[in-house]
Amino acid sequence: MSLLSLLIFLPLAAGLLILVLPYAWQQRYKYVALAAVGIQVIMSAFIYLNFDGNAFSGIDAKSKYQLVEQVSWINLQLGRLGSLQIDYFLGIDGLSMPFLVLSSVVMFIAVLSSWEIKTNLKGYFALLMLLNTAIMGVFCALDFFLFYIFYELMLLPLYFLIGMWGGARREYAAIKFFLYTLFGSVFMLLVIIGLYFSVQDPITGNHTFNMLHMMNPDNYIPGSIFSALAEQQIFGIPARLLGFIVLFIAFAIKVPIVPLHTWLPDAHVEAPTPVSIILAGILLKIGGYGILRICMSIFPDAAIDSAWWLGLIGVVSIIYGALNALAQNDLKRMIAYSSVSHMGFVLLGIASITAEGISGAMLQMISHGFLSTMLFFLVGVIYNRVHSRYIHDFRGLALIMPKYTTFIMIAFFASLGLPGFSAFIAEAFSLIGAFTSESVNGLLPRWMAICGSIGILLSAAYLLWTLQRMFFGKTRLMGGEDWKSKLTDVNGREIFVLTSLTVFALLLGILPSLAFDKMNASVLELIRLVNLK
Amino acid sequence: MESITNSIQGVPLNHYILFCAILFSIGVMGVLIRRNAIVIFMSVELMLNAVNLLLTAFSVHHGDASGQVFVFFVMALAAAEVAVGLAIIVMIYRNTSSTDINVLNRLKW
Amino acid sequence: MDVIITISLLAILVLYLGLFKAAKALLPVTLVGLLVALGLTFNHWDLANNTKSIFSGMLLFNNFSVAFSALAIISTFLILMLSKDYFERISANVAEYYTIILFALTGIIIIASYHNLSMLFIGIEIMSVSLYILTGIKKRDYASNEAALKYFLMGAFSTGFLLFGITLLYGASGSFDLTEIRNYVASSEEISPIFYAGILLSIIGLCFKAGAAPFHFWTPDVYEGAPTLITAFMSTVVKTAVFAAFLRLFYISLSSVTLQEFWVPVLVVLASLSLLIGNITAVYQQHFKRMLAYSSISHVGYLLFALIALSSASDSAVFLYAAAYTIASIIAFAALMVVQKQVGNDSFDNFNGLGRKNPLLALTLTISMLSLAGIPLTAGFIGKFMMFTGALSTYHTALTVFAVLNAIVGVFYYLRVVVAMYFKDAERNELAVPVYFKIVLVVSTLATIIIGVYPGFIADLI
Repeated sequence: MSLLSLLIFLPLAAGLLILVLPYAWQQRYKYVALAAVGIQVIMSAFIYLNFDGNAFSGIDAKSKYQLVEQVSWINLQLGRLGSLQIDYFLGIDGLSMPFLVLSSVVMFIAVLSSWEIKTNLKGYFALLMLLNTAIMGVFCALDFFLFYIFYELMLLPLYFLIGMWGGARREYAAIKFFLYTLFGSVFMLLVIIGLYFSVQDPITGNHTFNMLHMMNPDNYIPGSIFSALAEQQIFGIPARLLGFIVLFIAFAIKVPIVPLHTWLPDAHVEAPTPVSIILAGILLKIGGYGILRICMSIFPDAAIDSAWWLGLIGVVSIIYGALNALAQNDLKRMIAYSSVSHMGFVLLGIASITAEGISGAMLQMISHGFLSTMLFFLVGVIYNRVHSRYIHDFRGLALIMPKYTTFIMIAFFASLGLPGFSAFIAEAFSLIGAFTSESVNGLLPRWMAICGSIGILLSAAYLLWTLQRMFFGKTRLMGGEDWKSKLTDVNGREIFVLTSLTVFALLLGILPSLAFDKMNASVLELIRLVNLK
Repeated sequence: MESITNSIQGVPLNHYILFCAILFSIGVMGVLIRRNAIVIFMSVELMLNAVNLLLTAFSVHHGDASGQVFVFFVMALAAAEVAVGLAIIVMIYRNTSSTDINVLNRLKW
Repeated sequence: MDVIITISLLAILVLYLGLFKAAKALLPVTLVGLLVALGLTFNHWDLANNTKSIFSGMLLFNNFSVAFSALAIISTFLILMLSKDYFERISANVAEYYTIILFALTGIIIIASYHNLSMLFIGIEIMSVSLYILTGIKKRDYASNEAALKYFLMGAFSTGFLLFGITLLYGASGSFDLTEIRNYVASSEEISPIFYAGILLSIIGLCFKAGAAPFHFWTPDVYEGAPTLITAFMSTVVKTAVFAAFLRLFYISLSSVTLQEFWVPVLVVLASLSLLIGNITAVYQQHFKRMLAYSSISHVGYLLFALIALSSASDSAVFLYAAAYTIASIIAFAALMVVQKQVGNDSFDNFNGLGRKNPLLALTLTISMLSLAGIPLTAGFIGKFMMFTGALSTYHTALTVFAVLNAIVGVFYYLRVVVAMYFKDAERNELAVPVYFKIVLVVSTLATIIIGVYPGFIADLI
């Protein structure tokens, strides 16, 4: 069993262990979970350090992936349809490796913030570990069917985590989240089947789910539904464009884009803090990762054709998300909308199909992963203490919680793109990509980049305004003296989490090459693949 | 025996088909329209007998005995069905003192 | 035909045991007998898959029959395990229940292995007549009476259609033998119009039996009125058997391209209607049992996909789907029986808070609902995946998209019971789950997950 399988199935084993441990040990479940994710962090750090970003660029050639594992998994004889060949096929390149590091760190923090969960600990940690497995699997899978299985497997634990440990309207939020994502993914399944029938393994001649084969136009059977040369149409729309759109919508719901974002604020508000952290820190990134790994690579022609629309959606998400964030009273809702806005940069960067844009998008995802984790953790801190997160319930918190205020200022300034923090580099690169796109490949007009920068301005507005309302001035709290006594400053565990996140954000801000070096070759390879068409 | 076969074959096959189809349709209409369980039941029997007749006709025309053997199967199984069906109707009659299927509205459709 | 003989003899043996008041021995003897029958079934498994037909072409017990018979026997086994103390509460004559169920099973095995239309008819009748009795077996219960009469009238009515169809097929081709009919289709220049009428009437007859819309209207009432255990039997084993019959007839005899042009559109309409009606009405149900009844209509719709995309892969697709559906339904009905017995009512509210009090029951029921809804890593997903793959390979894109939309609706109503169990709290006592139930629940759940993760081992059976 190699490193990636271990990384994927270690949490599952931990989850099963938690299930069989007796109830009397309830208080120890979290340490089992913490140990599992701790080992994962070490493993992913090891993978990061040994990752050779230049020699192994990945994308469409199996030989350029690292830590590859390929085992035959499902093999059904289907008569006329040939054999249904599904592989357990894992591997990482510069696009997926950073997310492994991000996921393990975010999971670690999510487990640390699970100290607040008090009910049904067995179920909670088992589901959390199952979710962990699914997330790691999504980032490693190179067989489309396997990817889909992991992708769907993420849904269930999240559904239960939101539905069982959530707030007052958790049932509604959970089913909304579930149906939205499922809606995208079942259509994705149809495209997967369509691709399966269109693509041949060049060696065996069987139909295949192998993503890498799907990226190579030579492997398409002439006249098949998704063959670029056949120019088939489904319902009057070119098949390849339709395939791209369906996959894009499936991932875009996860990102989320306006107007498919409405599940996000509900899910965030109702979810307990650790789940919010995972949602914002990892799940949204799976959308962006999917667009890069699958939509762009398998349907490069359609991606170029629809780049303008992607850019537009990105800009709309940036502005709309920011304006909405400005209007929120609920701190968690505000951060949820700010996520929509920040993920808009990712889409804008991707749409530019330039090296700067895509690198910026990748970095933005990683940086947002750390920063949104930090923000949600911070909200969790005050919510745990007084069970309120309305902005107008608090005033002058700086006087009673000075350390907390320091952290929140760091998080806010980092999010609004202060130079020196990761978000600055990421957003700058995305915007540069979008700006140069007009002269490099003519895909995006310049005004999109300009509108995107207005988004930064708006994010400064809502973040600073919140800071001013909640933390400055004389201390006045909704709950009076009772709250004042409960609102103790951050404790050791919280300081540990927040400091480490701050370090990550600073490190990536000052030394972005830590991330860029590892993924540069893959990004260039991806652009080469897209422009090949 | 020879003469019976000949006289059956003397009538064109289409006439049998048409006649049996009409009988069958009368049975179907009876099931759909009548409200008394016994009458519905009789209509079902009519459908089965239409089939029996047609089977015999086909059998003679093909000169193949298996169709007539099938008729015996149908008759035997129809008899079994009648036994069970009447038992069910009697059971209902005991409980409701009626065989009108309009009484049977406890379960909504 | 040792399997059929074994089960028939077993039925008579059980009847005698009842006569000699050996009430305690009934269930164990039945279960052991079924295990023997299962062993005999697998004895017919032929790796080369070139079994010859027997009894002058009446039966063909090939791998297809082995797979479906085994599925029927295993599901009957599981369902009978739930029957401990169940029949005793309904009536004093317990032996008859087992006997009649075993007779129905005999019919089902004939259906799964017929090679002559007369055997199809006999098998269906043996099964149906037994089921009429089982449905009405609660003599004093009004709902059971009503269900029995409705089922009987509808069943006899549909038998009429099936018979007329068979007769017309015979009239055109001159034989009841499946291979002969295929030869007729292959050799004749112009296929007689009564042959087409025959196909149509057989479809109607079989769809009545399977409960496909628009011939579904008896299903909800009958499923609700019949004793729950019998409902479980009807909606799983019987449905599977009818589909095995359907598939065999169409695959062996009616699969030529000209004929497909005729009946595929008919089945497309039936499948879409079944999906639509089954799903939409299931959403509005407030009771678990009725929801299962309506949702079973939609599953018939998915199963019809295998016929629409008829190929040599259809049998494993139907088998996988039917196995997944059967196993998951057995879990659902087992949970339903526990709740019904101890709460007295099966509306969704009565499942509130079950997740806390009965974790095992709730977990297994959840997995079964996920499997019925078709969520990955459960058997139901593999089943749906095979169906959609088949339909897309024959370019039924619009139908597949429609089915996918319906699958989402399905998720919504299947999750309602999960929502009730886990997300809603209620003051309730722990329900007592008998050991037999626990075994069935755990075994079925494991089977659901194993088939979902590694479907190869049962799909290769055919």
